[in-house]
Amino acid sequence: MRCGEMRVEMLRTILAAGVFVSAGVFLAAAVTEDDMSARAKKLHFSSLVVDTHDDTTQRFLDGKFDLGVRSDTGSIDIPRMKEGGLGAVFFAIWIPSKITGPEAVNRALTQIDAVREQVRNHPKDLVLATTAAEVREARQQGKIAALMGVEGGHMINSNLGVLRSYAALGVRYMTLTHSGNDEWADSSTDKAVHNGLTDFGKDVIREMNRLGVTVDISHVSDKTFYDALEVSKAPLLASHSSCRAICGAARNMTDQMIKDLAAKGGVIQINYHIGFLSQEFRDAEKAKPELEKEIQAEINKRCGDNEACQLVEGDRVVREYVVAGKLPRVDYTRIIEHIDHAVKLVGAEHVGLGSDFDGAMMPFGMEDASKLPKITEALLQKGYSEGDVQKILGENTLRVLTEVERVSRSLNGGK
Amino acid sequence: MRRVLAFLCVSSFLCAGLVLSRRVSADDIAERAKKLHFSSIVLDTHDDTTQRFFSKNYDIGKRNPDGHVDIPRMREGGMNGIFFSIWIDGRIMGPPAVQKALDQIDAVHENVRKYSKDLVLCRTAGEVQAAHEQGKIAALIGVEGGHMIGNDIRVLRMFGDLGVRYMTLTHFYNDEWADSSTDKPAHHGLTDFGKDVVREMNRQGIMVDISHVSDKTFYDALEISKAPLLASHSSCRALCNHVRDMSDDMIKALAAKGGVIQINYERSFIDQAYKDASEKLSGGVVAQFDQFKKECGDDQECFQKKMAEQEKQAIADGRLPHVSWERIVEHIDHAVKLVGADHVGLGSDFDGADMPDGMEDCSKLPKITEALARKGYSDDDIRKILGGNTLRVLEQTEKVSRELQAQ
Repeated sequence: MRCGEMRVEMLRTILAAGVFVSAGVFLAAAVTEDDMSARAKKLHFSSLVVDTHDDTTQRFLDGKFDLGVRSDTGSIDIPRMKEGGLGAVFFAIWIPSKITGPEAVNRALTQIDAVREQVRNHPKDLVLATTAAEVREARQQGKIAALMGVEGGHMINSNLGVLRSYAALGVRYMTLTHSGNDEWADSSTDKAVHNGLTDFGKDVIREMNRLGVTVDISHVSDKTFYDALEVSKAPLLASHSSCRAICGAARNMTDQMIKDLAAKGGVIQINYHIGFLSQEFRDAEKAKPELEKEIQAEINKRCGDNEACQLVEGDRVVREYVVAGKLPRVDYTRIIEHIDHAVKLVGAEHVGLGSDFDGAMMPFGMEDASKLPKITEALLQKGYSEGDVQKILGENTLRVLTEVERVSRSLNGGK
Repeated sequence: MRRVLAFLCVSSFLCAGLVLSRRVSADDIAERAKKLHFSSIVLDTHDDTTQRFFSKNYDIGKRNPDGHVDIPRMREGGMNGIFFSIWIDGRIMGPPAVQKALDQIDAVHENVRKYSKDLVLCRTAGEVQAAHEQGKIAALIGVEGGHMIGNDIRVLRMFGDLGVRYMTLTHFYNDEWADSSTDKPAHHGLTDFGKDVVREMNRQGIMVDISHVSDKTFYDALEISKAPLLASHSSCRALCNHVRDMSDDMIKALAAKGGVIQINYERSFIDQAYKDASEKLSGGVVAQFDQFKKECGDDQECFQKKMAEQEKQAIADGRLPHVSWERIVEHIDHAVKLVGADHVGLGSDFDGADMPDGMEDCSKLPKITEALARKGYSDDDIRKILGGNTLRVLEQTEKVSRELQAQ
């Protein structure tokens, strides 16, 4: 998610000053750092924690941002990743869906470069990883694995050669669309025009399979999801989507979709965006659409047209509205609720973490990457086994990557 | 030549003896040259074969009736290292230029993948050595023209990460930050940004190629670059006064900083008479290029065909003189006499230029080795010219890159 969409999301969601009914309940379940159990800490910091969606890349484009320095804004930097035990992060390569053609390619390249430059500039802390084995190796070296995902098929300019170039540069998943349809796939937040994937869209999936680029079905329409599921020889990833049964956003997955995804080995990576976690928040937004204008005006005042700033400030302004009682408070325990829903539905093998940090509005208690151990603690408190917690924290994602690599090798003739 | 001599000598025993003794020693040299050639790394730094990848009628894995390069003929000519040139018209700029360049880089990658038994993509001198030891042809990539980075250093870095190992600072036209030798100066050499481009190339380990650039751009690049420069496909102006070639002073300055001039086989760059006649006939290389471009648009096959046909016709009816492949050796020898055998190499311009008689395609390359051997060049010097010097520049460039990245 990000600004353009965030505005839409807010429009629908914003407001309802009085809807705090559930806040207290969540507070009671909340874990503070002080009472974090030794067991949770030990488990969390000995696990490989993988986050499959972070929009921090946008901040890299601002020459002044340094990932190595603790920032008092946003959710991701090296110190806070370390503090939160985040072992691997997928940096999203993203530009708005309306930018297409060579311009989109050029801009995607500059973002891939921005990620690679951050890795080059922080060789002690970061290492670029393109395989599950490289992620584990990074961990052994005490480094954070940086991976890349292209968030939106519009960035390949309907050109498989560009897709191959992205793969050669290290991109390891591609979300088939962003919030608008692209030339060959329908998005969940646009009017359907292709009835899912076009024939070329199916070729894109086949080439992704061959290249070992994971097919990401977050953002796509339900029909696109089912088309991709049918065509792909490798398991799919929903890099940052939550459960529609709890919060009825089109960006989330229905129970049936989650089941079908899991049946083919895929994983749903729960998105922490409050508009995807909480139905109350969505309802509040819908009830007072005028708030969206106010919030947007405030963001514009702070950021002008600086996209990275808009992303970070969007989260902050909404938080201010919550504190002022104009929007319902959404607690981080909602993340646990979504994880638990999906686990009950399909088992612990098919659920993971796809925060949407630096691209969405974070719930209270999950302001940044340093708070991640709270998820481990909450899952243990719910009675999850340590093995299951580790799967959710990252092992499931690594399994999908490994399987995608295996399919790629076999499609390339075992080479 | 030899046939005429033999004919004259038929009636004379004296002559017969002479020819026989010459033939024995000639065969010795031929044998030695053959052995030397086929055991050496023969690395050609400029081939426009990439353009042909987009034609349905071309298959690099098969022997083709036209053009200059394919795997069978590379094997036959002992050419086991090649820089595939990424090239688009210098007037295309911005994101469309970046997109087209990516398409070509991808085409090289895909062809290497398709023929992975013969070809292997190489990024370092070490990888070229390893490819040679495995009996494979090393495929490298050079971007021919700074306009393809879309005036954006980040794109340059991505090209580097995709395996590009040299970039020619301009093509026929000035780009946004450097003057070309065949355009009206607009930047007085390199702009400040152009200097940053050279610095970033150093940092990324991408060789700075000064073929095509104006003399001032060359001297600016020479001053800025911390790594030796390459002239990937340029010949000697002293023998053929073309702006695309290098003056003796430039060759000396290039060599003094460890660089290499890779001799271009294009007729109008190696033969003064041909160049003069060609300019009279068609206004020179750029004018001719533009004419064909106008007629053929993006159809490279049409372009190549028209070019070959016109040359053939003009030579047949005497409007253009014949040019012998031996001119190539003359240019090599001139440069070697000027700066030594450590600073000269081969940059054919196959599939992008008009080849002289006797160098119709890459299968003829052993003739260069034999000619140099006949001139008395040592095996070591010949190996350097065939590829060793280029590998040294590549190695140096890698070393500078490592040092700069460690800072």
